[in-house]
Amino acid sequence: MTAEEANAPAAAESAETDDVVRVYEIGYHIIPTVKDEDIENIVGGVRAVIEKHGGNFIAEGAPALTRLAYPMQVLTDGKKEEHDRGYFGWIKFEAKVSAAEALEDTLRGDANFLRFIVFRTAREDTRSKMRPPTLREVKRTDTIKSSPRRAEESSAPVSEEDLEKALQDLTAE
Amino acid sequence: MANNILTQNDIRHVDYKDIDLLKQFVNPHGRIMSRSKSNLTAKQQREVERAIKRARFMGLLPYIQK
Repeated sequence: MTAEEANAPAAAESAETDDVVRVYEIGYHIIPTVKDEDIENIVGGVRAVIEKHGGNFIAEGAPALTRLAYPMQVLTDGKKEEHDRGYFGWIKFEAKVSAAEALEDTLRGDANFLRFIVFRTAREDTRSKMRPPTLREVKRTDTIKSSPRRAEESSAPVSEEDLEKALQDLTAE
Repeated sequence: MANNILTQNDIRHVDYKDIDLLKQFVNPHGRIMSRSKSNLTAKQQREVERAIKRARFMGLLPYIQK
């Protein structure tokens, strides 16, 4: 078997998968030193790459400044820069395999991106609606504790006669 | 059916952006809980594991916590 024959099935397979439309999600961190006005342009660049390859958008999360769980380093002009926060955003889109590959290639060379991830996902909203109830419970106990104290203070309009009587009782003892 | 957080709340997909949900499957050191502790099915455990690793890579969850 020649090398060409051996490669033929693989080539045919990649040609087949190239046409398949799949649902992808991209999550990215834009470096925090970028100005607020420029963020929209940078995200617009990502959207342009997807549109150029015939992709459709499904959902999107606007970039917001997020604190990172650990500092990340990036090489800028041969120097290592450390960042402890970044503008985190995400886009869910539907596109061909080649579009996802092209998107990865373009983002890899972009210095504005601290880090990014592209992966296959489901079309429906994957974020859960569940919220941990712990924080709310703490607030409720606070209000319950504070309300009876106020009630005690307000319910003490003591007349002078009562006060004198009480004082006499105390001094008599 | 296994009695765990995912089935109780009818969660079919685990998203790496759901930090509050994922935090319930890591211990105070940031390590992923074993199936015996998380009580998840094998399929769910794989999904949770994948989501936690994505969240760690994107700096949303720590690799280790001191």
